[in-house]
Amino acid sequence: MTDTLVTLTIDDVEVTVPAGTMLIEAAKRAGVLVPHYCYHPGLPVAGVCRMCLVHVEKAPKLQIACATTVAEGMVVRTQTPEARTARTSVLEFLLINHPLDCPICDQAGECELQDYTFQEGRAATRYSEDAKRFNPVEDFGPDVLYVPNRCILCTRCVRFMETVADEPVLNVSERGDRAFIGIHPEAQLNHPWSGNVVDLCPVGSLISKDFLHKARAWDLDRTPSICTGCSQGCNVTVDTREHVVVRVRPRTNLDVNQYWMCDHGRLNYKWMNRGDRIEAPLLREGGTLRATDWEHALARAAAMVRGVSGRAVALVSAGASLEALGLLHRLMERFEWNGAMQVVMGDEHPLAGTPDLALRSDRAPNARGAELFGFGRDYEASLQAARSAGLVVVLDDQLDGLDQLETEGHLLYLGTTLPGAARDAALALPLANVAEEDGTFVNRDGRVQRYLQAKAPPGMARPAWWVLGELLAALDAGDRLGTAAEAFAALGLGDLTYERIGLGGTLLENEVPA
Amino acid sequence: MHQTTAIHEPVFTGENRARLEDEMARYPTKRAALLPALWIVQQARGWISDQAMGEVAEVLDLTPAYVKGVVTFYTMYHEHPVGTYFIQVCTTSPCNVCGAEDVVQALLQHTGCGDLGATSPDGRYTVIEVECLGACGFATPLLVNDDFIESVTPEGVPALLERYR
Amino acid sequence: MGFPHPPHPRENQILSTHFGDPAAVSLEGWRERGGYRALEQARSITPEAVTDIVKASNLRGRGGAGFPTGLKWSFMPKEKKGPHYLCVNADESEPGTFKDREIMRWTPHQLLEGTLIAMHAIRADVGYIYIRGEFTDVYRIMEAALEEARAAGIFGDSRVYLHRGAGAYICGEETALMNSIEGRRGNPRIRPPFPAQVGLFGQPTTINNVETLAAVPHIVTRGGDWYRGLSLSSPKSSGTKLFSVCGQVQPPGNYEVTMGFPLKELLHDLCGGPRPGRSFKAVIPGGSSVPILTAAEADETLLDYEGCVERGTMLGSGGVIVFDDSADMVYQIMRLARFYAHESCAQCTQCREGTAWTTKILERLLAGKGRPEDIDLLYDLSENMTGKTICVLSDSCAAPVVSGLNKFRDEFDTYLRHAVA
Repeated sequence: MTDTLVTLTIDDVEVTVPAGTMLIEAAKRAGVLVPHYCYHPGLPVAGVCRMCLVHVEKAPKLQIACATTVAEGMVVRTQTPEARTARTSVLEFLLINHPLDCPICDQAGECELQDYTFQEGRAATRYSEDAKRFNPVEDFGPDVLYVPNRCILCTRCVRFMETVADEPVLNVSERGDRAFIGIHPEAQLNHPWSGNVVDLCPVGSLISKDFLHKARAWDLDRTPSICTGCSQGCNVTVDTREHVVVRVRPRTNLDVNQYWMCDHGRLNYKWMNRGDRIEAPLLREGGTLRATDWEHALARAAAMVRGVSGRAVALVSAGASLEALGLLHRLMERFEWNGAMQVVMGDEHPLAGTPDLALRSDRAPNARGAELFGFGRDYEASLQAARSAGLVVVLDDQLDGLDQLETEGHLLYLGTTLPGAARDAALALPLANVAEEDGTFVNRDGRVQRYLQAKAPPGMARPAWWVLGELLAALDAGDRLGTAAEAFAALGLGDLTYERIGLGGTLLENEVPA
Repeated sequence: MHQTTAIHEPVFTGENRARLEDEMARYPTKRAALLPALWIVQQARGWISDQAMGEVAEVLDLTPAYVKGVVTFYTMYHEHPVGTYFIQVCTTSPCNVCGAEDVVQALLQHTGCGDLGATSPDGRYTVIEVECLGACGFATPLLVNDDFIESVTPEGVPALLERYR
Repeated sequence: MGFPHPPHPRENQILSTHFGDPAAVSLEGWRERGGYRALEQARSITPEAVTDIVKASNLRGRGGAGFPTGLKWSFMPKEKKGPHYLCVNADESEPGTFKDREIMRWTPHQLLEGTLIAMHAIRADVGYIYIRGEFTDVYRIMEAALEEARAAGIFGDSRVYLHRGAGAYICGEETALMNSIEGRRGNPRIRPPFPAQVGLFGQPTTINNVETLAAVPHIVTRGGDWYRGLSLSSPKSSGTKLFSVCGQVQPPGNYEVTMGFPLKELLHDLCGGPRPGRSFKAVIPGGSSVPILTAAEADETLLDYEGCVERGTMLGSGGVIVFDDSADMVYQIMRLARFYAHESCAQCTQCREGTAWTTKILERLLAGKGRPEDIDLLYDLSENMTGKTICVLSDSCAAPVVSGLNKFRDEFDTYLRHAVA
């Protein structure tokens, strides 16, 4: 790519793009989707499916839009009879051996072979020969199955493993119509990023064991979100079916994760569907926690905060929202306080072919956000300090060491479930989890990114920003917060708003004066 | 990265290793020595097992899957054991019209192979049809292992096989 | 065993002069016959001067495409930024073609001399001679010739190696050939970039056919004008060409004639015409990838690039496949389709699926299960397989099918009439 711009016409729409752009990308800018299978912007061009054949004025024959660079004054047409016939014939060729098992195929409803066939395929087949058939299913690895009969040999998976993951464990085996995607019998598709081949597969040939037969594509609700697996902050889409998260897939963000996400993040969603949730505020009366309503709970919380003498300590999760952490910071500022987050560590797994993209060792989606509001990483020290504190606030569950605390009625617990140690809490307030609220995280690069509510929280559980907002409003007789956007605006991060952040995120350093 | 389950005696030792080194010196990349390396394996072992592919991958810094993808592309590499004498007969059009299929029938009969691709019960012969051997003016050409033989007729098959007992 | 036929007086033997002469195979024998003087001569002038001679000769690629050789060489960068490569395409596998094999078998040094001259012209550091895996005998001959030349110091600073293929027709396609040398599947590459910019190992590369390179020493010695003057018909086609005549003709063999030579005279005068009691039915003049001619059309065809195009076919590689009236054209066309289905690299959809589908329809037709609509289907599939893929293997499958349907429809109809409903 250079700085030079080139103007061309695609289906009568004039478009100006950088020199070196491929037609297929220029067409997107002109609002024209050229049908394609093998092309993917994150992979080297293969030019093999021949689906994106378009008419280029003055060219002797149809050209593939994925491998033809734009030129000044070029006139491109995607809907000439020749181009349409060429695409229809590619679809016909792809379908002659296709099993047409859409009713039992996970890809149905989001299958590009289905979509384009409906769009411009033949109504009936002209193929009356025996169809070629392979073994129905091959086990490629921990989460990937290969159904060769559905395969259209676009080679996206092979190219991903070869050039992006830099671990070519997949190949094209044999040749001619005997070809299939192969793997060496002694190897496994178990690279930490290998799940991407399932997303890349334009048909139902590479499928996820985890998602197998869980849902039909048209029954899914799709919500933009941020992966909670580590501090990279990969943009994802959370797919839910009737308020159950059934799948997480990467959402394109060229500044963060390109088109990819790791398997750790991809499969790190089951806790979002836990059944053992706190569904109502729990208030200690005598020796037991009793369910109550929010009005009583918040009144008790306010009284508890007002009655504190001595230091206060906050123990937080690095997966709490920026809104929750900011509001908690405001609450803690009333006291001499300290607070820390717990950061779970693991192995780092970079994606070889993509700079600045890895499963990070700190599995903490919002560690930078927590630091922004004064929550440090010395969790052990804060845990020690909590032993003698007048008020201990725990934000979010799954924190270690809570059972060592002897808080004697000083523990204000905000969480989604009630671990044993939290049973000593004076008050336990039920929170929505990340899939159940709107919020923001700040990733390791200081990029603030929004995630959206994908499903309803159980019972009376509420987002942490709401709970803390209500508590602060009660303490200060101040304004109540109606939405996550208002909660964010109240954090004092310059003029930054949800609208400005959008769904692509923005770097805090560009937005907020230091 | 992978475990070898069956016992595999390494191919690239001694003379084979030296031959491979010589081949590798001819190219600027290790990968380019792949076809020569596979030839060395096949000449040493008669065929190329999955384990051998693993060994080739290791010496050339490739993955076994990559090697397998290449092996399966080229029809002259055997992924399974074949007879002592591997016979490839051209039956593409120019030879076909000159009676190549009769030569194949004669070979199947006289070798005892019975079927194309099957190895004779004595383990001696495997006969396959191949596409154009590039000797169309010498119909019917065939290869017995590395011997290129031209102008074979059905009648000449018994005498030909006498040379490969 | 010598070359299968004695030279015919109407041949114009330049490349094939020493075919059948075992004494010409060795370096000493080749030198006695004037060998390697052209190389000396070429090395005494600049690469550009050599290229100019070849440009002036009007030599065109003999592998099938007919691209002007001098022009191809001139695409190589003048300023070297890294190594340059020459690939010699000795992957001769176009059905009907067996000329390169004879050049290497009888005159390995003729090829080597042409190779070294070309390497000088394009400033190549390394040359790879890609020999198809099945040519075991020729490989050994070339290996010995290389060894002799190396020992005699003929290579100078150049390095020349043999690279053995392993059974893949498509590796005769120049970009597939480069992939194969690089240790990859023999998949053709999309162009651009062209090999002269980004070729073997990403470096500027020229790929030339064996017969093309074998002509180069003669051109250097005798001059571009001499070679350009060798033309019986179209001035755009110069020099001599080896025609590999095979199939139902007697005797088959390689015949070297001047460009523009009448196909009829090649088949009837140089060869001995049809077998006794037979008559010619069809001729494929340029290897199996070009459209089939009827015997009557063949009689009118002049053997040069333009003469073949005029008759709706192509000169291709010069593999002349002859069918007489005993041949079942439907069966033979099926065999050709099966060949392409077997050799498709599997990359492009139309080729991978279309070659196999075409073959299956033809097999069904032959099995007595044809349907009238199969004819239109075959035409339509062929149309969809033509001009739409990375390389022309798919087109090559369509060519004999379409021309066969056009010209031998009665044979297809016979199968349809006798089809079991």
